[in-house]
Amino acid sequence: MRQPSLPLCKIVLSAVLSLLCAATSAAEPERPDFTGLWTSYREPGQRGASGFGGPRADLPLTAEGKRRMEEYGKLLGPERANPAAYCVDYGVPTMMELPGGYPIEFTQKPSQLTIIYEVENETRRVYIGDRQLPADQRLPSRSGYSAGHWEGSTLVVRTTDLLDGQDQGNHPHSDKAAIEERFSLGKDAKGTTVLSYEAAITDPVYYTAPVKIQRKYEPLKDGFIIPYRCPDEFWYALVEMRRTQLKAGHPVDAHMSDVYKEREAKE
Amino acid sequence: MTRLIRTLAIALGAPALALFAATAGAHHSAAQFDFSQRVTIQGVVKEFNVTNPHTAAFVDVTDAKGTRTVQYEGHSASHFFRAGYTRDMVHPGDKIAILIAPRHDGHDGGFIQAFTVNGKTVGFGGLSPETGKPAASGSAEAPPK
Repeated sequence: MRQPSLPLCKIVLSAVLSLLCAATSAAEPERPDFTGLWTSYREPGQRGASGFGGPRADLPLTAEGKRRMEEYGKLLGPERANPAAYCVDYGVPTMMELPGGYPIEFTQKPSQLTIIYEVENETRRVYIGDRQLPADQRLPSRSGYSAGHWEGSTLVVRTTDLLDGQDQGNHPHSDKAAIEERFSLGKDAKGTTVLSYEAAITDPVYYTAPVKIQRKYEPLKDGFIIPYRCPDEFWYALVEMRRTQLKAGHPVDAHMSDVYKEREAKE
Repeated sequence: MTRLIRTLAIALGAPALALFAATAGAHHSAAQFDFSQRVTIQGVVKEFNVTNPHTAAFVDVTDAKGTRTVQYEGHSASHFFRAGYTRDMVHPGDKIAILIAPRHDGHDGGFIQAFTVNGKTVGFGGLSPETGKPAASGSAEAPPK
């Protein structure tokens, strides 16, 4: 029996491989890359929205949720305190609403989406795929633990292990909350790339039904992240205070409480 | 430029935390300012600290009440730079005109909406500190947080 020629084998093999690749592409759509700097999407003629404010009026509150919200309103005091005023991270979901109108940075690799908000470099990490931290090793935090998977070209993220979010501006929640987020890319009528963000908060303590959030981001043109770290100022002030003591030949014993007192006196 | 502390919440003893809270409140309450009003003040810069989370400007002001140093608050350093502020734009001793949203209680102070110094203007929302009116489209912005 005559053997096929080597060139013919190569052609057949190449064709088979091409078909296999095409089949694979059809089964696994191309993953969007969210990497880049983003800011709030503005509809034509719309000014930027702060995204920070009081709880929405349409929240489906439980009796306990209503009680906690009213209590928190009293805790804020006349100055209407908020976490960021104390250099505390906003947390999730508030950070995703871009309070104050600062840009947000996404950095993506196959196994992780890293999201950094300019204010205090607040960072959250979404672990994508099978490699996940065991549930009993997750330390609760204001941004929680985020596990992601792809549904077509949409990244679906489930966030759990949250600390109490009584102070989340628009959407307060308890430490029992879970948030499902969906990230996808598209274009608007003008061809501008739009990153769509949807979230649904489920919280049996606060809500009788899932609370939904919708946001859109657009690329920040020619933008950079500007360093934003307000705690640094206190440290510099303390060092300066101790330098003054050292130069004067006094004991170097200034404490952070002295920094606060000096500041208070100046005001 | 002398660095001044802003506000910070870290684990502190109760007295310090209380003091800190008072300090923070003095800085971050948008409620104390009347953003429906615009007032232009003239003065001489004593300190101009563009920091996060908010800017603090100490300006020597002379008017019918006499001469005194008044503190004005402003947006964060990030917003200042994005509005056109550059390093070393303002120095102690510079004459400055600031458009402010005054305090509700009528006391000295206010929130910086725009300022002009050394022939350069930085505005938040397109307002001119000279006229108190929009220099372009848009309106004054309340502090973001």
